[in-house]
Amino acid sequence: MSQVLHDIEKKIIEVLKSKPNQTTEQLSEITELSIDQIRRGIEWLRLKDLAEVSESTKKSVSLGKNGLEAFRNGLPERKLINLVHDSPKNFDEIRSNLSGLGFNAAIANARKNGWVKIEKTESGQIISKKEEAVETPEEKLLSFIGEKNVSDEEIENKMALKFLMNRPDFIIEHEETTKSILLSNKGKEIDFEKADSGAIDVEANVPSIHPARIHPLKDVINEIRETFVNLGFTEIFGDLSQPSFWNFDALFTPQDHPAREMQDTFYLENLNAEKFASPTQIKNVSSSHKNGWRYLWNIQEAKKMVLRTHTTCVTIKHLAENKPDDARIFSLGRVFRNEKVSYKHLVEFNQVEGIVIGKNATLRDLMGIQKEFYRKIGLTKVKFWPTFFPYTEPSLQTMVYNEKLGKWVELFGMGIFRPEVTKPLGITKPVLAWGGGIERIAMLKYGVDDVREFYNNNLDWLRNASKCQ
Amino acid sequence: MPVVELDLNRIQRLVGKKSNRKKILDVLPFLGLDIESQEGDSVRVEFSPNRPDYSTDFGIALGLQGLLGIKTGILKTNVKKKGNYQIKVDPSTSKIRPFVTGVIAKNGSIDDDSIKQLMNMQEDLHFGIGRKRKKSSIGLHDLDKISFPLKYTTIDREHKFTPLNSDTESTISEILQNTDVGQNYGDILGQSSKIPIILDTDGNTISFPPIINSALTTVTSETKNILVEVTGIDKQSAEDMLAVVTAVLENAGFEIYQLKISGSKNSTPTLASRSITIDSDLTNRILGLNLSPSSIILCLKKCRLDAKLKNKRIECSIPRYRFDIFGPMDLVEEVALGYGIDNLDPTLPVSQNIGSKHSITEKLDNSSMVMVGLGFIEALNSSLTSKQILYEMTNKNSSDIISVTGSKSQDHTILRDSIIPGLLENLSSNVHETYPQKLFESGIVFSRDSPIKESINLSCVNASKNANFSDMKAVLQSFLRTSFNLQCETKTTSDNTLFTSGRVANIVINNQNFGQIGEIDSSILENFRIRTNVTAFEITLSGLIFD
Repeated sequence: MSQVLHDIEKKIIEVLKSKPNQTTEQLSEITELSIDQIRRGIEWLRLKDLAEVSESTKKSVSLGKNGLEAFRNGLPERKLINLVHDSPKNFDEIRSNLSGLGFNAAIANARKNGWVKIEKTESGQIISKKEEAVETPEEKLLSFIGEKNVSDEEIENKMALKFLMNRPDFIIEHEETTKSILLSNKGKEIDFEKADSGAIDVEANVPSIHPARIHPLKDVINEIRETFVNLGFTEIFGDLSQPSFWNFDALFTPQDHPAREMQDTFYLENLNAEKFASPTQIKNVSSSHKNGWRYLWNIQEAKKMVLRTHTTCVTIKHLAENKPDDARIFSLGRVFRNEKVSYKHLVEFNQVEGIVIGKNATLRDLMGIQKEFYRKIGLTKVKFWPTFFPYTEPSLQTMVYNEKLGKWVELFGMGIFRPEVTKPLGITKPVLAWGGGIERIAMLKYGVDDVREFYNNNLDWLRNASKCQ
Repeated sequence: MPVVELDLNRIQRLVGKKSNRKKILDVLPFLGLDIESQEGDSVRVEFSPNRPDYSTDFGIALGLQGLLGIKTGILKTNVKKKGNYQIKVDPSTSKIRPFVTGVIAKNGSIDDDSIKQLMNMQEDLHFGIGRKRKKSSIGLHDLDKISFPLKYTTIDREHKFTPLNSDTESTISEILQNTDVGQNYGDILGQSSKIPIILDTDGNTISFPPIINSALTTVTSETKNILVEVTGIDKQSAEDMLAVVTAVLENAGFEIYQLKISGSKNSTPTLASRSITIDSDLTNRILGLNLSPSSIILCLKKCRLDAKLKNKRIECSIPRYRFDIFGPMDLVEEVALGYGIDNLDPTLPVSQNIGSKHSITEKLDNSSMVMVGLGFIEALNSSLTSKQILYEMTNKNSSDIISVTGSKSQDHTILRDSIIPGLLENLSSNVHETYPQKLFESGIVFSRDSPIKESINLSCVNASKNANFSDMKAVLQSFLRTSFNLQCETKTTSDNTLFTSGRVANIVINNQNFGQIGEIDSSILENFRIRTNVTAFEITLSGLIFD
């Protein structure tokens, strides 16, 4: 344990090491620091558990007015015995020599000490010496105290003190509280040489600071984008608002399909697209619907603007416009579903979708690219199940084993675009497509079990979520 | 996705002696049936809406038999022509619900579990191919309560009969008003004074399509013989529905008899299988396999189809209920399923393509890093937001609002035209966190055009005791210079509601306006319950950085 010490603290410790139990004043005197500095230093040391302050009350006595008189001229009984030393004296003679209260006390104490005897005669009472008067404990104590202030502990004969205290104005009692400072066990161990080497308290707590950062969900989005780029995919970009034509019709979703209803899809109020596709595209898509689904295709339905329900609309439009024979393309961005918001559903979330177009593209390739994609983002246990999507055939879904949850979870869907989708738009080569929600992957990554967390912008979370998961 | 509940004992019995539970559970997902949950003998599985035959255990057992190799090939519907079952169609139906079709299923028996499944299957069919009963709807009846021939005609709304689950007679109008089905589906019939009805030769009401059957013909576990009728506005969709139910009943042990239908463009359904021809080449090319024609035929049979080699091509015969099969590509998928998806080995193709991010993404990513360098944390908000946050709390005129219809969430009803309000909302929910709080967000904002214009904006807010205009301007200048090597001016303006007047400016670059910067007005901070100073800017990057 190394301690960082202020100079004041060091000086105080130095003194206390050789002389424990010092008062503030004593420390101030020895260290030549002001009382204020000492007080501050003691407080710091106390907080660091290096010093302790003990409080003690010190009792002392000094002589009062009568005590001092007795110290200087002897106790009244001593004066008495001196008067009768040579010959007995009567009361009147003695009273004129010993004034006031001293007389009664002198008679009483001299008799008690057995120094004198009192006889009644015709001329009154007479006091005469009985024995040689030796120095009493009280007298010894008086000389010991003298004009000083003497602490209780120094007085050995407590009996004598008690007697003196019973006499009026003989003894004054004093009481004084003093604080004395001593080192704690920890304080005694302080190694000055080490403390003086320029070392600091490397173990002490410091305030927390937070870096500015990219949103954690954006980190996952960026990682997925990088993965696509690394696999040779080129990003395309498209609008969030789309004519129904590209979101649904071009993908062979019939106009009366439940997915197109208002309760699943966000329609933009009173907004219709004017020009959205070429006449040939419209004609071909229209007849694909008529042949496949047997109903009267209505261009008004195709004009209705929606918030895209998937990024596939961007992909299909790009393919219809560019008709590549061999390409790897991906699109990533927000998509919308008219859902009740809950811990697992958002109305707006991110989706990524990749496609491979090429004359030799196969379903096994699609599975292989998937596996490689998952491997690159750290998901190694992957399997495939058949499923259904309206615009792909064959269609599969990926199941990924999640170690944290201990179970298989459904991730991206995939398939090969149906001929009913590609043919009307002049796309002649097989199109492998797959995609899915990104928040799902982010939830697994960050161990978040409420998807809304990503859009709460809770600063505590944003400031503390680990960057490398 | 719809869900069906299966009893494993029942399924095992239906699939056959050679099956075992573990194999059944292993194979279910490879039929496209996701196991949602399992509790003891009961398993809930999700099935795709394009396979309504999987809405009962009879249909699923058929599929399992195929993949497990217990029984393969087509389940041929053998329609017997004995008996004189007939529906005559009155031309008056042509204006309202022109088509009716049906079959007779005899000498079978169904328990309560099967009835429950058949009812669920009807509902799934009604919702899916029936388009909520509008396109087609189905009714099952106890044949022994009915006298033939039947008549499909129209009738007044005052007509009375006892509907299903009731013991008193009601008029059509009462049924439409007082029952759930009446209220939910009555609109299909519009305002026409006459409604479609099926009556038997004694004048009993059999069914009031597409609303409700009569109580008279209720199917119970006692029922041995069944009439299936389907009505609709699309003949093929009605026959699709009929085919699914017929296949299921046949698989449940019923004998199928013809129901003759005539009059007004109607005809007796044949329920015949179709044939589609595929190439081995196409199949192998799409799947990336090298299967012989005979292997392909085997795979197709495992999917309960029939196939044979004909002039080096494979002619596949498809039962009527598999109307999800449109063409050769659907058969390629069947081959994949028959082959077993878990037997398909993924291959990683070599590619000459070099990937790249879109230039917009590239620039946004880089400029986001500059904002982070300037000490701002990235926030993410929904672009579909609420009128309250976007307009009311920011005291903004909402006349140009772009809304969505029928949102299920109050917080997501309009498209944002600005990012700052969302960031203020974020500050508002973080008032207990330490300051300073610096946030930025880049994203798409919407405005009216023809019909709509999407632009990319970048905004930031700084909430702290000492936040002031000059510091924010310094951030703006540094952001533009470091990100795009651009200089900007800030020109005084009075056109704003968000900022304190006199402490707001337009962001001007090359004499063009690209946004605003300023100190947020105290009344707006109060609306958001923010108790410190906030400065902000919002800049449109589209047109400035992007095309």
